[in-house]
Amino acid sequence: MSDISHGKDRRDPRRFDRRKSTNVSTHLELLSKMSGHLAVTLNIEETIQKALDLIVQFVKAEGGALFLLDENNNTLVCKASVGPVDIRGIILKTGEGIVGQCVAENSSRIVRDVQQDPDFDHSVDESTGFQTRSILCAPMAGHFEKIGAIELVNKSDASGLFSDTDLLMLQTLASAAALAISNAHMAEDLVIQERVSRELELATEMQRSLLPASRPAPFPVCGINLPAYEMSGDFYDFFEIGDGRIYFSLGDVSGKGMDAALLMSKTASLFRCLGKTLHQPDELLATINRELCETAIHGMFVTMACGLFDPATGEVQLANAGHEPLLLHARDGCFTAIPASAPPLGILPLAAGEDGIRKDCLNLDGGTLYIFTDGVTEGDLANGNQLGVDGFTDIIRESTGLPAADRLAAVVSRLVNTGRTRHDDITLLAIDASIPCLKEDITHNRQPMVIRHTFPARASELQAAREFVNKACADCGCSKSMATDIVIAVGEAIQNVVRHAYKDIEDGEATLEIVCKDGIIEFQLQDSAPTVDPEKLKPEWPEEPGPGGLGICIIHDIMDEVEHLPAPSGQGNLLRMVKFIESNSNET
Amino acid sequence: MKHEISQKQDASVVAFSGEIDLESSPAAREVLLKCFESTSNVIVDLSEVSYIDSSGVASLVEALQAAKKNGSRFSLAAASEPTRRVLELARLDKVFTMYDSVDDGLTA
Repeated sequence: MSDISHGKDRRDPRRFDRRKSTNVSTHLELLSKMSGHLAVTLNIEETIQKALDLIVQFVKAEGGALFLLDENNNTLVCKASVGPVDIRGIILKTGEGIVGQCVAENSSRIVRDVQQDPDFDHSVDESTGFQTRSILCAPMAGHFEKIGAIELVNKSDASGLFSDTDLLMLQTLASAAALAISNAHMAEDLVIQERVSRELELATEMQRSLLPASRPAPFPVCGINLPAYEMSGDFYDFFEIGDGRIYFSLGDVSGKGMDAALLMSKTASLFRCLGKTLHQPDELLATINRELCETAIHGMFVTMACGLFDPATGEVQLANAGHEPLLLHARDGCFTAIPASAPPLGILPLAAGEDGIRKDCLNLDGGTLYIFTDGVTEGDLANGNQLGVDGFTDIIRESTGLPAADRLAAVVSRLVNTGRTRHDDITLLAIDASIPCLKEDITHNRQPMVIRHTFPARASELQAAREFVNKACADCGCSKSMATDIVIAVGEAIQNVVRHAYKDIEDGEATLEIVCKDGIIEFQLQDSAPTVDPEKLKPEWPEEPGPGGLGICIIHDIMDEVEHLPAPSGQGNLLRMVKFIESNSNET
Repeated sequence: MKHEISQKQDASVVAFSGEIDLESSPAAREVLLKCFESTSNVIVDLSEVSYIDSSGVASLVEALQAAKKNGSRFSLAAASEPTRRVLELARLDKVFTMYDSVDDGLTA
């Protein structure tokens, strides 16, 4: 300390010579004032600038700069600057120059006279025109991390040189600033954490809302989803389509976490949206699969089973893309596993059908169909063993006689509160055909499906009308070959209206009403053309093969009932055709 | 409905595609009858026809009758299931000469 001419002094702050301290109480006052200032702000930028302003003021320096380490601890960036030259944004390398060394070694430096110091980097002075005479530099560090450093230049008195007292002052203030910056960092992290946790909460809520509301008995479908963490990679859904049948689905997205949860939400939404119009489970899964493949996220896939249950008959049409085998618990107590009929979704585009996504048909016949994710069978019991399929069937057997929702709850109760951490979501779905009053109830309440299509009676409209008929047949559960026949028959009927009834009329109109109820599909085709004598509309096969009168013969051939009626409005013709429905399940 | 005509050996192969109904059957009729002006063997490729109604069938019947009248050959090939079904319903599946494929028709 005696040798000022060396201009260079590295020291431990604790070794500071107390005799040289001037008026400790003033320092404490300043310190407390600064801490008070810093405590009120949690904004980093503001904290840093304020800290430096106060320090420069207290130590009476001409200028000062505050440097913060970047995330990799490689460089120091000037974040605040006070004095004649604004050097904010200047970047220094850790370990180089006075500031860099100060940070690297976590020790303070006083350079009384820079002209005597070989470490001094003149480049900044050269580029700014500022003349540095004396430097003070103190590192800022938290408990576990280096934060940066504060550098002061030129004491603002006649000598322009700093003293040891100034260094002590700077060290103390730098510690306070480090604490304030550290706090501001933590506050910032807390704000981010808070926001993320709020967003997660909203996302969880949003995801729960994708699950269907549970329905009171005797509704035959119920489910449970219990995520392991906030967000679930599993889902289930069910809803009624217009004809009284119930669409159900259950899926499991590979992987866990937010990405799985988002893919789950997408898949569940596709099911609900497409299921309203696509009433063939195999085609539905094929369509969802195409959609998932198109926007595939590398390596993620979905196993999913879905089906249509007809409470009136107990029939189920199923499609299972790579999901755990479904379990049918028959009335006689036997369990049958129904394995997947296709690979998981989101890997390869596949068509519906034998070679792609196959459809299975079965009749629950008073039994219950269970669908579950591997989180159930691979879930840990209190004794540490996995539940397994056998464990599952045991619980179901024990709870026979209980409502389906209670049976599912019995399974879940064995898997939670086991004292073990769950790592997988638990999801179960039951389709219960055992409720005795079900059949009557649902059939009784079943609303007939009625759809109507009015169109100009022109040849160019025929194709659209046939498509309308074809879709209605599928919606009513007609088999494919039956739908083909019906389209042929109704197509001929419409063609007759265009060709014969409206023979000389350009702007005629026809209305086709389709009613689907109680195992029949009924078509009423009405026009407002001049009334045709029903006698002329009897099917008569021509003796020689030829085109004449063919349409009427075909209609009578295909339909179970055909009636020509006068139109209710008084003018026009009404053709009523009825077909008894053979459902898809009769087709293999 | 669209159509394409190609010459294969001594035959004109008329390949229809799409739906042959009241709207398109007059065009189909014209295409077929015109073929007989330049050839005496017409094979109709029905593989791409997804639907045919009685007016379309009538066009085929008319072509068959025209062929018989001037001693030409007229056959149908590769009818899809819905097309076959209409011909069957019209009791005409035995009236037409039908082949499983155009090649079968050419070698017959």
